Amino acid sequence: MRFFRILYHWLVPHEGNNHRAKALHHDALFAYVLLLCVFNLGIRYFHGKAPDVLGYAIDIRVDQLLAATNAQREAAGLSPLRLDNTLSVAAAAKASDMFANNYWAHNSPQGKTPWDFIIASGYRYTLAGENLAKNFQTSDGVVDAWMNSPTHKANIVKGGYRDVGFAIVNGVLNGEETTLVVQMFGATNAAPVAQIPKAEAAAPAPVASEVVTEEPVTVVPAEPAAANDEPVKQPAIGLLPSFISNTAFEQVIASPKVNIPGLTNTMTVIVVGVLIGLLAVDAFVVNKHRVVRLTGHNMAHILFLGTIIVSGLMLSRGSLI
Amino acid sequence: MKKGELLHTIVLFTILLGGIFTFWFAKGNTSLQLAIGTVTTMAYVAWGIIHHSLKGDLHRKVVIEYVLVGLIAIVLLTTLAL
Repeated sequence: MRFFRILYHWLVPHEGNNHRAKALHHDALFAYVLLLCVFNLGIRYFHGKAPDVLGYAIDIRVDQLLAATNAQREAAGLSPLRLDNTLSVAAAAKASDMFANNYWAHNSPQGKTPWDFIIASGYRYTLAGENLAKNFQTSDGVVDAWMNSPTHKANIVKGGYRDVGFAIVNGVLNGEETTLVVQMFGATNAAPVAQIPKAEAAAPAPVASEVVTEEPVTVVPAEPAAANDEPVKQPAIGLLPSFISNTAFEQVIASPKVNIPGLTNTMTVIVVGVLIGLLAVDAFVVNKHRVVRLTGHNMAHILFLGTIIVSGLMLSRGSLI
Repeated sequence: MKKGELLHTIVLFTILLGGIFTFWFAKGNTSLQLAIGTVTTMAYVAWGIIHHSLKGDLHRKVVIEYVLVGLIAIVLLTTLAL
């Protein structure tokens, strides 16, 4: 009986709790803020101590990325891309450089461009491009996000590309655990000519220029490297770490016992659901008894918390450049 | 619904729907999404204060309530972005 009295006191507005459910009083709301902060910091702490227990479930593989990329190209009426080990080495070198120099951009702080990595790998391109992604959990998630971004999609469905290389790497970037995906596109004169869509074939020759922006990048060299027999000069800046092999960086798979995004989503739905329920009961009872009191607008709080849930569903750790 | 209340409701919906739309627009940029979430929350708290002020029932207790609800929202969004 005492239990139900306490429950009633916490959940239902009445004279004894000043006509406001105790669970909606200021001290209770403040306690929720503190508990959520502890929960947030606790996740960070335990993830750092035991990432195999509390971590991010990740399953990103080169073969899946290649299949998803080619599925998009085939849907656009283009020929599939060939997985090129040289471009994959360039992508791995780029990913390693990003971790080593702690940057998230197409061009490094030292001024290295994606093309420097491609040239250093030995790939003699006439056309090249790069897509970057970080902190996605699945291969399909990465390709879907690229396809939802017009500039990244443009690289995936560009008719001129023949080859593609990938690198998937886990590391620490700007102080946080990060899974990087580097996708490098290319075409050489040596590549077999596949079907080029009419629109692409009829397009005027691209202006020779290097595009250096935060967008995914594409470059067409002024003089196609494969147009003559002169080898492309290898820059003497040691772009390729010695440990990179053709088979490295092919996948990142992690299966922690507790998946952090799942845990935080569940926690958010529970907290917001309980708060919305409390506010709805509070509004109903107060409205029924026509109680006049000084509090916030319950319906506005409910709408606002609903907005937070909807926004939370759209919040993704994954990002692109 | 009185004319003034209707206007307040329209402004509230504009803030919330604007927040959702810009949040969606910033997909793929977590930092920007968190910034949008924070701005939407601040706009909501400001709406609450102005709404109660115009209604004539603004009290420190009401302001604290809006601030606490806003803080809960920001901590939840920060947790979701982990």
